[in-house]
Amino acid sequence: MATLELKQVRKNYGNLEVIHGIDLFINNGEFCVLVGPSGCGKSTLLRMIAGLEQITKGDILIDEQVVNNISAARRGLAMVFQSYALYPHMSVRQNLAFGLENLKMEVDEIDKRILEAARLLRMEEYLQRKPGQLSGGQKQRVAIGRAIVREPSIYLFDEPLSNLDAELRVATRVELKALHARLGNTMIYVTHDQVEAMTMADKIVVMNDGIIEQVGAPLELYNKPSNKFVAGFIGSPKMNFIQFDYLPNSLKEIAPSNSTSLGIRPEHLSIKDENSLSLNVETVEQLGSDSFLYGTTSGEQKISIKLNYQTDIQANQTIKVGFKLDDAHWFDKDGIALTS
Amino acid sequence: MSAVIKFFSRTHGKNKLSFIDWIAYLYLFLGFLIIFLPVLWLLLNSIKSQFLLQKLDTNLLPLDYDRVVRATVFGPDGKEIFIIKDLPDWVIYWNELRDEDKKEVNDPNLFISKFEGKEYYALRTHLGLVSDHAKELIEEKNFPEWLIKYPSMFPDAKKEYNPEEYLINLNEEEVRLLSEFLGLKPYKPNGFTSQILISAKNKETNEIEEYSVSRLNTNKDTVNARLISNPQGGIVKIPTDDIIVNKKLRPSWINYSDPLTNNVRGMSFDAIKCLNNSVFVTIIATIITVLINSMAAFALSKYKFNGQIIFFIIILATLMVPASVLIVGIFKMVSVTGLNGTLWGVIIPGAATPTGVFMLRQYMLTIPDELLEAARMDAASEWSIYWRIVFPLSLPAIAVLAILSIIWRWNDLILPMIAVSTTKTAYTIQLCLLDFQGEYVAQEHYRLAMTVVSLIPTTLVFVFLQRYITTGIANTGIK
Repeated sequence: MATLELKQVRKNYGNLEVIHGIDLFINNGEFCVLVGPSGCGKSTLLRMIAGLEQITKGDILIDEQVVNNISAARRGLAMVFQSYALYPHMSVRQNLAFGLENLKMEVDEIDKRILEAARLLRMEEYLQRKPGQLSGGQKQRVAIGRAIVREPSIYLFDEPLSNLDAELRVATRVELKALHARLGNTMIYVTHDQVEAMTMADKIVVMNDGIIEQVGAPLELYNKPSNKFVAGFIGSPKMNFIQFDYLPNSLKEIAPSNSTSLGIRPEHLSIKDENSLSLNVETVEQLGSDSFLYGTTSGEQKISIKLNYQTDIQANQTIKVGFKLDDAHWFDKDGIALTS
Repeated sequence: MSAVIKFFSRTHGKNKLSFIDWIAYLYLFLGFLIIFLPVLWLLLNSIKSQFLLQKLDTNLLPLDYDRVVRATVFGPDGKEIFIIKDLPDWVIYWNELRDEDKKEVNDPNLFISKFEGKEYYALRTHLGLVSDHAKELIEEKNFPEWLIKYPSMFPDAKKEYNPEEYLINLNEEEVRLLSEFLGLKPYKPNGFTSQILISAKNKETNEIEEYSVSRLNTNKDTVNARLISNPQGGIVKIPTDDIIVNKKLRPSWINYSDPLTNNVRGMSFDAIKCLNNSVFVTIIATIITVLINSMAAFALSKYKFNGQIIFFIIILATLMVPASVLIVGIFKMVSVTGLNGTLWGVIIPGAATPTGVFMLRQYMLTIPDELLEAARMDAASEWSIYWRIVFPLSLPAIAVLAILSIIWRWNDLILPMIAVSTTKTAYTIQLCLLDFQGEYVAQEHYRLAMTVVSLIPTTLVFVFLQRYITTGIANTGIK
């Protein structure tokens, strides 16, 4: 049970600054997901929180205590690594016990905690096996179990699901969420997968190039992205962006002042005349439940549309697509969202 | 078991040997011979008698020849060479017998009483009776004590005495005995050498006759032989193809039993002590080597610090320095630190090896850093990261280093020579083996046998540790 606060945290590698002054507050018991494209510094930030990476400037506070100079072991955190990082020469039980032995815990207490974790994660039957004899999903459980037995104040996850196949990933996602509900600990989770972020997070932190673009609840980010990057990053397929100059006059008139582009999500476009754009369809994808149309509007602006029904529209057809004004996002020349 | 049979009887061709199978078997067999023949040669030579080894016998098996004895007796009439035939084996092999066996066989005094004249004198020398008889004579005649010590005196000391005066009142036999014992002219210690008995056709008489030969080299066209019926007649050359040789298998086990029971004439060879010293040096040095090298490799591969590359380059650079250049330096180091004469002087100078550091570092680089970070999150100290994570995961490489270190240490001659050559009690087995090659005597038969004994531990270690290499690799779970 703990809060985490970052104050103007910076990280330099030589002269290169990779984290540019991050401020963040994570509440007790929150499930916070750090999301962003690869290379945006989210893993580095997590490792700085863990204490595996020195911070160059700023402060990290756990429960209002500055922990900048406290070693990883003494911060009371536990981390689940992307590669699981299980000790290959130890059995599952020894893997779980290793951290506790280092804390000079009594044998009875170690056994008790291992049994508890094993029951919680349903891995009693392979406690004696070595990691080499486990499947990917089982290794994942052991890695999580190793964090649980420590009973840390904050759990850190570094892309823990990226090595699993799609089906297992969905199942483990649900389990992790359930685990969070049961344990109630603060968890910080790094991923580049927005689906994981949207489904699991209480709070999403969108990062790009070493800065935080936006912090908020999942739907808040979807509905009210504060800038063009977040708008484009959250949601699949990506939001369509149309430059102001290529908009029809009717739309130019109702746009807020200083707008340079319009953002509209593919699922918010429909085939109608109101607020419409003329679209030259190039590709049609039929998925049964949904249909995706890809095409260009005037000025070669690429547009994708998601329809939740089957359509008879063909490629090379020209259609009119429109949207509700409430669903439109307007951005200024710096990419900052404007309120209409 | 059936799996083993199946494994070994697998063929490339279906149910029969194909061309590729033949080539493979031939290749394996050749490889086996190349590796195994020298070892086999050493094993079989180690049970050859001193006689055969001195004759540079080239047979693989310890085939001993029929032997005769060529005796040289010195007397007032000068040197006389003759051959004694039909001596029993125990007399011919007298010098190759163990002391306890000598006591068991027939009484040599009784045996030589059947001979007289020159044969008697030759046999008396050969059977080592001269000194016994001479001492009896000295006691009987109440001659002074120093006469007994006279033969082993230095030449300077001998000048102070005049043994000749005691010969005056003795009879001819007694004069000869005492003179042989004291080494007085014209008597000298009589020669008595084993020679090989061969048969060949005499060119002049065209009859098969017996010859004695001191050395048989079947690669040469002719053999230098001495006709037994006329030994004074000099050496004749006989074509090698014409000779007939009798051989019989006669392994000489005393090569092993004498040194192992500290029963080597002319020197003290304590096999147990030598082996003990070697085992101590090998085990302790290997443990220290593995620890020091793996710690250095851990630091070089898993930490980032200033001068890391420089340190690594310096360590590697020492690989380029030949060991012989270091001898003087190591000797000075060992004597200054007072380690000379102790086994620690052998162990410590070679404890860190650049090869080991390099090998282990390269292996440790393959251990993912995430494991170390996970251990750090698990509150492991840096020591326990090394000892409980990195060390066990490097076991395959460490086993290789351990095997190499054991072989280096066991076979090392230079470091022991530098550190303990003046302290006999600290000799390792290699130094002990060197001792058989004395300034005046070469006891190659003992040396070969003890070399075989010294090979046993390394062979066992290799066979034993090899198992650990494979299990070591299997246990790491690295695929």
